[in-house]
Amino acid sequence: MRTIVAAAAASLLLIVVYLALGGASYAPARVADPCAVRGWSNPQGLQQTVEQIVLSGLDGAACKLHVSREDMVLAFASRDALSRFAHQHHVSTQQVDELVRAGLLRSIDDAENAGAFNSTIAHLLGGFVRRFPIEQLISLLQQLPGL
Amino acid sequence: MRTPAVLLAVAVGVVLADSSVVTIALPDILARYHVEISTLAWVLTAFNLALALSALPAAFLARRRPVPVFGGGVLVFSAASLLCGFAPSFGVLVAGRAVQGVAGAAVVCAALDLLSQAARTEARAARVWALAGIVGAALGPAVGGILTQLLGWESIFFVQAPVVLLALVALRGAYTVPVPEPAGRPHIGANAALLLISGGLVAALFLLVILLINGWRLDPLQAGLAVTVMPLAAIAAARFGRTIMPLWVRATSGVLLIAGGLAALGWLPHAGAAWTFPPQLLIGAGLGFALSALTERALAGRSAQAVHGGWTIAARHAGVVLGLLLLTPIFTHDLHKSEHEVLASGTAAILDSRIPPLDKIAVARHIAGAVDDAKQQARIPNVSEVVGKHDGSGYADLISHLQDQLDRAVTQAFSHSFLVAALLSLTALVPILLSRREVSL
Repeated sequence: MRTIVAAAAASLLLIVVYLALGGASYAPARVADPCAVRGWSNPQGLQQTVEQIVLSGLDGAACKLHVSREDMVLAFASRDALSRFAHQHHVSTQQVDELVRAGLLRSIDDAENAGAFNSTIAHLLGGFVRRFPIEQLISLLQQLPGL
Repeated sequence: MRTPAVLLAVAVGVVLADSSVVTIALPDILARYHVEISTLAWVLTAFNLALALSALPAAFLARRRPVPVFGGGVLVFSAASLLCGFAPSFGVLVAGRAVQGVAGAAVVCAALDLLSQAARTEARAARVWALAGIVGAALGPAVGGILTQLLGWESIFFVQAPVVLLALVALRGAYTVPVPEPAGRPHIGANAALLLISGGLVAALFLLVILLINGWRLDPLQAGLAVTVMPLAAIAAARFGRTIMPLWVRATSGVLLIAGGLAALGWLPHAGAAWTFPPQLLIGAGLGFALSALTERALAGRSAQAVHGGWTIAARHAGVVLGLLLLTPIFTHDLHKSEHEVLASGTAAILDSRIPPLDKIAVARHIAGAVDDAKQQARIPNVSEVVGKHDGSGYADLISHLQDQLDRAVTQAFSHSFLVAALLSLTALVPILLSRREVSL
């Protein structure tokens, strides 16, 4: 019987140690809720300002579609990915485009109201967003490393 | 121990090692034949299923004519091994594995009968036979890994053919003992417990290896060396645990150690081979205790050792098939789920990183593409290669963060399978405790 007790004790000890070291919570980080309010930080330079606008715009679209902001980013990884994403969420790729566009325009307004840039730049950025499909906007951004 | 007994024990060990020996070689086999991952599992299932189904018929044959059954089994097993090594297609490989299983059943069951002559007593023969089976099963992944890395996966089959053929020398002077009376009823409790434990051990012998190689990107040699902890512990426990009596106490202790080790693998606090060593120690020790006790119990006091040995082999390998059937869907479901989680958490890491904002788009696209490629190759992508070479601490931090998220996701994907395997092993306590008064040993 002592062997059984020793075996049970050794097993329990190892399990307790591993759980105490975080064994039950060793998992990928959870992504943030896109519907939660994210404060407008003070971006340094135009690149960071554009980044905040894009992320904020994606949050808005993601919140409407009940997905994460990260899912929205991955949806625009390729044309196939966008089609798959649209199919999974029972919307057309055009509707996804429109949701992201609406989110971007709203975050440009937020940035202007927060004083991140003046109305001329806001007007210019808004024009870009209205004029180009989202996929083309991403390609355009990538071709402008010196932005 | 006398030379014939050693040769017979080696043959038993090599055959039973075949159950898990190709696990480490699976990614290389996948690359060679370009089959679906779900189809790939047949390399393991074919052997174990064939062995489980043919163990009893082989045992009844071996009981009457052990010498020709062993000799024939050795020749066919060696020929099938060569066929596997030279297999021009995946179908031929699976067929070769099935033939190996059938011939392996003949070798293992007849060897028990012949060992009774070589080792002089049935009790000693049963102990040697059980130990050979434990060492073979536990050493399989390690030996397979080392051979795959050094000589290629085909070498696993080329090496085992001559080793098994060598056992034919043991047939010199062997004779057939007249069969006295019909074989008695098998020990239900011991065989049921063997089946359940073997089902749980699938996680330790197969999934752990897949986690090390496909999940944490260890090469086959490193993985082979990493899983040697388990066989070493098993050999030590089987050898030194002989004094633990009665047998049900040894078997119960073994089951508790196996279940504890498997549960600890399900709750690993970090990624890394070293974290698997303490659970491997428990599982190895448990395997040594439980399999030796249950095999001895299944054979003790029963006439026609080969037949009752056949029952234990059928139970063990039916357990392996049960484990594969039960754990594979859980594992593949969790892997699919973790793929989505790691993509999301990885993308979050990229978006929150300090790399230039415009680079984030390119890196996120590379990661998404790499995950798609990884699905085809059944191998986790190398984060540094995917992100690419860039200067700046922002990139170094991002790579480290992405690697951490990947390690977490991969480790978590195996968690439920290990926990279910722990529960499956624990259920072996029911037949052990129910039948503990059946044989007073």
